[in-house]
Amino acid sequence: MEEFIASTLRSSVPLAYAGVGCLFAIRAGIFHLGIEGLMLSSAFAAVGIAHETDSVLLAVAGALVVSAALSVVYWATIDLLHADSIIAGLGLTTLSVGGAAFLLDVIFDQRGRLDSGVGLPRPIKGAQAGISSLVTDLSILGWFAPLFVLLCWLVLRRTAFGLRITAVGSYSYGARAAGIRESRIRLHAMLCTSVGSSLAGVELALGGLRAFSEDLTGGRGFIALAAALFGQLNPIGTAFAALFFGSANAIGVVTQIHSVDVLPRPFILMTPFVITILFLTLSAIATRRAARLRRERIVAES
Amino acid sequence: MRKRVANLIWRLMPLALAFALAFALFAGTGFDAAEIVGGLIEGAVTGNGALPNTVRWAIPLVVIGLGIAVSLRAGEFNIGAQGQFLMGSVAAVWVALRWDLPQPAVYLAAAVIAIALGAAWSCIAGVLKVLWGADEVITTLMLNFVALQVVVWITTSPLKDPLTSGDAASTSRIDSSLRFQGSGEYSPELIVLALLLIAGVWLLLERSGLGLALRLTGANPTAAQCQGLSVRRVRLWSYLIAGGLAGLAGALEVFGPAGRVVTGSTPTLGFTALVVATVGSLTVSGTVSAALFFGGLQAAILYLPIVSDLPPSGLRIIEGVVALLITAQLAAVLRRRRNSNRIPASSGEDAAESPAAKGLL
Repeated sequence: MEEFIASTLRSSVPLAYAGVGCLFAIRAGIFHLGIEGLMLSSAFAAVGIAHETDSVLLAVAGALVVSAALSVVYWATIDLLHADSIIAGLGLTTLSVGGAAFLLDVIFDQRGRLDSGVGLPRPIKGAQAGISSLVTDLSILGWFAPLFVLLCWLVLRRTAFGLRITAVGSYSYGARAAGIRESRIRLHAMLCTSVGSSLAGVELALGGLRAFSEDLTGGRGFIALAAALFGQLNPIGTAFAALFFGSANAIGVVTQIHSVDVLPRPFILMTPFVITILFLTLSAIATRRAARLRRERIVAES
Repeated sequence: MRKRVANLIWRLMPLALAFALAFALFAGTGFDAAEIVGGLIEGAVTGNGALPNTVRWAIPLVVIGLGIAVSLRAGEFNIGAQGQFLMGSVAAVWVALRWDLPQPAVYLAAAVIAIALGAAWSCIAGVLKVLWGADEVITTLMLNFVALQVVVWITTSPLKDPLTSGDAASTSRIDSSLRFQGSGEYSPELIVLALLLIAGVWLLLERSGLGLALRLTGANPTAAQCQGLSVRRVRLWSYLIAGGLAGLAGALEVFGPAGRVVTGSTPTLGFTALVVATVGSLTVSGTVSAALFFGGLQAAILYLPIVSDLPPSGLRIIEGVVALLITAQLAAVLRRRRNSNRIPASSGEDAAESPAAKGLL
């Protein structure tokens, strides 16, 4: 059980960063399928830099820069060139997957995997029992995750910038009429998203494994998007959704450690995706029902 | 006619731009761009056995791509073609290896089950979307990952080829008498079948009531509803068609050039087909041309040593940049720029976009 909780916490950290990060894009009206790519390229940049310099700080900085640069490219294609955000987002992800594999080959002469000598610092290390064993091996980013969620909540709900983002996404004409520069707001929202997905990528690469592999993200960016939807586009809700989807992932980790053979392994590995589909549907049903109830109430009151 | 040519050129501009960017990246990392272009042409067209390989890759791309075009035309972002394709090939390989049937019955059973499984896989997302409004982009993506695990399972336990493992793990090969095609040769059966499918999808989209309903639903669902169409049913049809075609493509892959299902090294045909359909502006003729083009790229990069000095991931970079830019409205953007140059904006930047400026004009 303790192992399961510890594993859940570890698995949900990247989901929380990416999920809460992508709230900025979704609230600005952009369904950001490039998250997966941003995570992967940040992970690659982080491991690449850590491999060369052995500096965690430089690695994180490099990951943030790479992610921000790609986000600006994405913003330019959908905002300046009016490309379709979904196709372009998938393109960004494919470009990142291809680019990481390509540069891995060209720069480091490696196929599929690159190891890093250093990792993120871990405040509590190697506790075997008791409460602290739940958070053992949790990286510094894991400890900062609640703070990040809270910060994003503050920005989104309690600052003019956050409210402008929501305005741009939910009622574009109104936002324009209020004198908001939509394009610029979307750029800034996209940069906020890039920070979250970049930290998620760094956590994946340098938090536990200290290595980059081409399938490192394995669809976690898309699950993070689902977590944002499941969390009703609210940072706190998204964080709890991330925790929940993280627990689905932990099932796979724990059963692997104990080599439980209830089901063939691939079926255990597909559970996070199946659960994501199920709960996305549930939240869609709930949203519809809430909208219908609201409508009925308005009708009843009038 | 002139307008159509101009249109085509505008459509191809993002493609050209994407290629320029990708090749700039290759040149920047120390590859000789001219040599790569030469190699690509040789590997796709002029080289020994190049054309059959191009056709070999174009066939699955066109079959999957047409299905994606149908669903995008209907306004549904069904991007789960990869999963539907994998499920189709799993069905086909299962029938071919496990069921002891006479040859024609094997084809029939495999085709029917592959189409049904592909369509069912697609319809999971379709039903969730149509009945409850679950976002189809996420669900189809998730189903791709689930299908991938099904492939991992089938290649590691029930139909495992004992000699393979890891990323190269695969099912046993199907009996060679069942296969239409070896590598490096044309397969008349597959080409004829692909042509039939192309004609069929064209008839469906452009000359049938369902096609009209699909296009109308995609263009304006409210209008379609007002015309008395059941938008839900039409949308479900789009999922069925896309999934069925992708599943069939999976079966063709098994009975054709692949002969088995491999875990790791399958090129991600589902995504390439999405690029193909969008590059072909969701029309049948456009999708066919784009499929030949990307089939050529795939063939060249996989089989030609001059090019494959470039890592195979180079192809993914090209596809990624193309997908990033292909839907860019260059024509509209440039036209607006020209307009705003002609009529000087009164209140500084963003004049072209602000409603106030439009009111002034």
